[in-house]
Amino acid sequence: MELVTAKTNISRGVLGEAEIIKNKSLLNKWIDEAGTHLTETGNFAKGVQKKAEENFAAIGLPTKRTEDFKYTNIRSYLQDDYAAKNGSASLTESEIENVLIDDFVSVVLINGKYIPEYSRLKNLPKEVTIKSLFKALEEGNEVAIKQFNSGLEKTTNPMAMLNTALAGDGIFISIPENFSCPIPVHIANICTGEAKNFYNPRHLVYLHKNSELTLIESYHSVNHTGKTFTNSATEFIIEDTASLENYILQDEDILSQRNDVRHFTVNTGSRMNSVAISLNGGMLRNDPTIFINGENAEVHLNGLFIVKENCHTDNHTMVEHRAPNCMSNELYKGIIGDNATGVFNGKILVYRDAQKTNAYQSNKNILMGDKSTINTKPQLEIYADDVRCTHGTTTGKLNEEALFYMRSRGLNEKLAKNILLQSFAKEVSNTIKNEAFRTLIEQKIEENIQ
Amino acid sequence: MLEIKDLKVSVEGKQILKGLNLTVKKGEVHAIMGPNGSGKSTLASVIAGKEDYTVDGGSITFNGKDMLELSPDERAKEGMFLAFQYPVEIPGVSTINFLKTAISEIRQYRGLPPMEAKDFLKVLKEKQKVVEIEANLTGRSVNEGFSGGEKKRNEIFQMAMLEPSLAILDETDSGLDIDALRIVATGVNKLRTKENAFVVITHYQRLLEYIVPDFVHVLYQGRIVKSGTRELALELEGKGYDWIKKEFSELAV
Ligand SMILES: Nc1ncnc2c1ncn2[C@@H]1O[C@H](COP(=O)(O)OP(=O)(O)OP(=O)(O)O)[C@@H](O)[C@H]1O
Ligand SMILES: [Mg+2]
Repeated sequence: MELVTAKTNISRGVLGEAEIIKNKSLLNKWIDEAGTHLTETGNFAKGVQKKAEENFAAIGLPTKRTEDFKYTNIRSYLQDDYAAKNGSASLTESEIENVLIDDFVSVVLINGKYIPEYSRLKNLPKEVTIKSLFKALEEGNEVAIKQFNSGLEKTTNPMAMLNTALAGDGIFISIPENFSCPIPVHIANICTGEAKNFYNPRHLVYLHKNSELTLIESYHSVNHTGKTFTNSATEFIIEDTASLENYILQDEDILSQRNDVRHFTVNTGSRMNSVAISLNGGMLRNDPTIFINGENAEVHLNGLFIVKENCHTDNHTMVEHRAPNCMSNELYKGIIGDNATGVFNGKILVYRDAQKTNAYQSNKNILMGDKSTINTKPQLEIYADDVRCTHGTTTGKLNEEALFYMRSRGLNEKLAKNILLQSFAKEVSNTIKNEAFRTLIEQKIEENIQ
Repeated sequence: MLEIKDLKVSVEGKQILKGLNLTVKKGEVHAIMGPNGSGKSTLASVIAGKEDYTVDGGSITFNGKDMLELSPDERAKEGMFLAFQYPVEIPGVSTINFLKTAISEIRQYRGLPPMEAKDFLKVLKEKQKVVEIEANLTGRSVNEGFSGGEKKRNEIFQMAMLEPSLAILDETDSGLDIDALRIVATGVNKLRTKENAFVVITHYQRLLEYIVPDFVHVLYQGRIVKSGTRELALELEGKGYDWIKKEFSELAV
């Protein structure tokens, strides 16, 4: 609507002709390198990609002058000499085995590419569709064709445009109407490859009316030999009264640089709960946008980020209340140590028509080291008059009084710190409803605050 | 058991304890009284090992060991306990788990085998009874949302669970209603043995009617300026601190 268009024009107005040409030539280099332009999928996709190319060229890669990327200068991580690549089955089955979780249906993606041979779909109900997104588009899957880019085209995120223009084949998941998937679907994402590889996997998840899905994503590095950059984009469409639980574990190595764009379209009476646990990765940017398009929808967005060494984790969130009578609740907690930097930049936008909105946002951070940094910027933009919105952010060191209290009862300093950090983290991990995965996450958290 | 000699302590450049001496033997109960700001809590914190304070001189030995060399947790493991004047709330950490961890750490330090879960539960029930604390309080996060009196009672409960040989109670009686005061005092008396000792910091003689001290000390301006028996507490209750202050300033001149 109005607001979004206005923003687009501002960002487009900045670049001159020379810069646009430069952006185009960089993009063309990457398109050639990737070589999987969606040509096979017919005119439809070509049209979508052409448009994305033009949009991207007009904006270019974000720099620190780009308002939404103020704290994460993409340009400093992703240089021209990065080579666009596609995922492939470049690892053996035994190399990926230990990232699978027995209780779940396991879908293996290597650099975003679906590897059916390594996936374990035995327990997947036949009602559920899981396949390569490109394949779904080629086969003329109506849902895939209709929904591809339906959410992201409404945003002005240059990284989303770039992903659309360079889209690498990812996963397509569709849950039929009135169907509740009884087993969680686990997507094991493995990042591998050599220095300066640049991946742009694209995924689509569609929940038909009144369906339910628990989707677990975990991110790992295997045989990773140099700094790579992954710019992934996932669209979720949650139709009326459907329900999505989406849990994310980010546990890659420090060579990994990842920009994770997500777009959720939330319709009437539906609900979603997204929990992102960011534990390891050299550079990590989580960029979820949620469009609440129908009444009586409920959105929960939670994140825990633990950042160490020289790493950087940025959480940039946007919740757009575009319909009345909805609620959103957002909680992000950060533990930042060593020389690491954390970012929380969360925006809630309430449209004029979105009366009776309840929107809550909270960000709490603990700085562990003298050189640890957090940049936090909560934003509320409200155009409706009958709403209840609150936001708050706190940052501090670990509570010294509590530490001394615990130590005076016989707990050594390290143990006392661990207990305090674990209880701090628990508020987020507790929002994971699946018990098996929650237990795994709690263990991972414990390992990472040692 | 506890021997403090010529203890000098400052915080942020300000001297608070100015050469304090105190000897506590096992089986004894000592009461420390004194006007606000005289340094009572500072003394308790320094004994427990709080790092915000600088020890400028003197010594603290406990069962022959130099406490100033030990961290707060090691002091606890040696058998010390401080009931805080202002107990801290620790949201998200359950009292039971906290105590389980503390007991297991203390036992490990002393070379004892871990306590079995059922033994822990037995002790837990037993001590809950001793200090008449409701199970719903101990089931919650440590002190979170507790009333002032509940926090104090929880301190005594933790003391009962950890069975220290020396417990320092910093104004545990303030904020307690009359019944709670009696319960806390009864709890302390039940825990009293020939082998352990208590240092009770208080402003009120009333507590000392329940917990009868062997010695009463007056701390004023960073020093123990008067020591006596329980009659001293009665005298202070009647006369206030003016006469002590006067005597002391005369001494100081
Ligand atoms: N961390 C600190 N920073 C600055 N001053 C402090 C600090 N801790 C204690 N003090 C000062 O030291 C003096 C003694 O304080 P302390 O708490 O030991 O007194 P107290 O005898 O326990 O008093 P009360 O009876 O009110 O509990 C006070 O003047 C207090 O302001
Ligand atoms: Mg005090």
